Amino acid sequence: MSSVIETHGLTKVYEGARRGQDVHALTDLNLSVNPGEIFAYLGPNGSGKTTTIKMLLGLIFPTSGSIRIMGSDRIYSSAVKREIGYLPEGAYYPDFLRGEEILKFYGKLYGLTGAKLNRRVDEVMEQVGMGHARKRMMRGYSKGMRQRIGLAQALISDPQLLILDEPTTGLDPIARKEIRDILSVLRDQGKTLLISSHELLEVELISDRVGILFEGVLQTLGTIDELLTDRDLNIEVRGIDDSALARLAEKGMVKEDKVGDVVTLRVAESLSAYDALELCKAEKLTLVRVAPRRESLEDVFVRVVGAAEAKRSNA
Amino acid sequence: MDFLRGPICIGVYTWREGIRKRSYIGFLILSLLVIFGASFITSFMNQRMVGEAQTDIDLKLIKDICVTTISIFGMLITVFISASMVPNEMENKVVYSVLSKPLNRFQYLLGKFMGIQAIILLNLLLMGGLFFVALYLRQGIPPTLLLWSILLTYFEFLIVSAFTFAISCTSTSAVLPTIAGLFIYITCNLTQYLKDVIERAGQTGEKLDELIGGLARVLYNVLPNLQYFSLKTQIVNSPPNDPPADVLIPNLIIYGLVYAMVGFILAYWVFRRKEL
Repeated sequence: MSSVIETHGLTKVYEGARRGQDVHALTDLNLSVNPGEIFAYLGPNGSGKTTTIKMLLGLIFPTSGSIRIMGSDRIYSSAVKREIGYLPEGAYYPDFLRGEEILKFYGKLYGLTGAKLNRRVDEVMEQVGMGHARKRMMRGYSKGMRQRIGLAQALISDPQLLILDEPTTGLDPIARKEIRDILSVLRDQGKTLLISSHELLEVELISDRVGILFEGVLQTLGTIDELLTDRDLNIEVRGIDDSALARLAEKGMVKEDKVGDVVTLRVAESLSAYDALELCKAEKLTLVRVAPRRESLEDVFVRVVGAAEAKRSNA
Repeated sequence: MDFLRGPICIGVYTWREGIRKRSYIGFLILSLLVIFGASFITSFMNQRMVGEAQTDIDLKLIKDICVTTISIFGMLITVFISASMVPNEMENKVVYSVLSKPLNRFQYLLGKFMGIQAIILLNLLLMGGLFFVALYLRQGIPPTLLLWSILLTYFEFLIVSAFTFAISCTSTSAVLPTIAGLFIYITCNLTQYLKDVIERAGQTGEKLDELIGGLARVLYNVLPNLQYFSLKTQIVNSPPNDPPADVLIPNLIIYGLVYAMVGFILAYWVFRRKEL
């Protein structure tokens, strides 16, 4: 199967009240999300993530460009929508309904009825770990439980594509881990997940590919391994004084941390590991540990967004 | 049938949500208290003031108060419910998860509208039912005229509801559609006065007068006349089991349905490409 989601030149411009006040929410987005992957769609607030998601779901309409979902360009048809489960950010579920009633309501919108609907509600409740609380009113649910119900309503039709807007925001670490585990299981079942999130650690742990958006423009796109480079090196040493630190800094080895008498030096990309060790030897330092310094997704995010901001400032 | 499954599901959900709204419960309780209270107070007076003439005056008073209460509180409930259902769902994002399901915008609006109508009908049945019982206990004759009046009042509210609903589809807050709904109700109850304006404007022959007359003529022909639906005078003054006089019930039902359809089509026209 080709891409589950495919956009070409997708652009959204909100018309301003006056000429010149138009807001370019999304510009020329070319994106493809592959079957069975977790694709993380990242970006600061107002970068165009939710705009993209809303266009995928037909809640707003593109100014230009095209979208294909499951190979079809009739993305607002029932056949395509049947294959999409969506969890909006901070969605509300009425307090007067029980958890299972919410799921039945959404299930009926997919055309599920009778025994089929009941069976599916049972399955999904177990899947999101809410089987024990299904009869409880929504007002008795914690934030994490509400989020699980939100996830359950997105799963009720057993869709192939899940679009999740901030699925773990505002949850405690245990609830976040539980949601993350559910998402990993869904990926293992062959579902495709598009996740928009600010929780970069969560995203790094479960995503296959990442796209970073800034001011409506896709800045970078790649697998986690492609984005998290191992180019830098950390060397931990003992017996270093301020003058030695200054000399090493001039040559590209900067103090990054100090725990007790052990100082961590970050080696610049321009310096080879051999040269760095030679410099330590010349300073008569005691070598404690040499380790590659792996960037986190947060580092990548800050670097990419920072570069985009700088480019905009210079323009 | 498949086409209606989604709207029915949304209609039931809307109904369940609507009857829990504080404004609805508040207005309903207040109206029932007024209807009950009006009957109770005049019953109390009857024990002290003997005479058929006095009883007739009391009865007219009860009928007047109750018909006015049903009309005013019914209209308030109609406007508040019709104005708030769609904007509230936009505000709390329920509309996002609902419209991402295999359901088009027409079906969504149809479901919402059906749910709103169920709430309005329930409200009318409760108020009308209490009034019916009060009148029946008082006069010992089933007040069938009241049932016709309740039926016509529903079609009056249907028109107000449809246009308020259409305006609510343009808005993300319930405030503007509520104000607009009240305005629609008041304006459409004054349509008869536009006829006077048309007649007076033709007398002077001045340009401005003619312009105002032309505008009044357009409004008179376009706006629904909600006064057609009122049987108040007859209910107050006639025996309770009289047939409705001077009104053609089937014509008024068609009149109400046509205007409601126009309101609903407007709502869909606004909502079909609305950016949510």
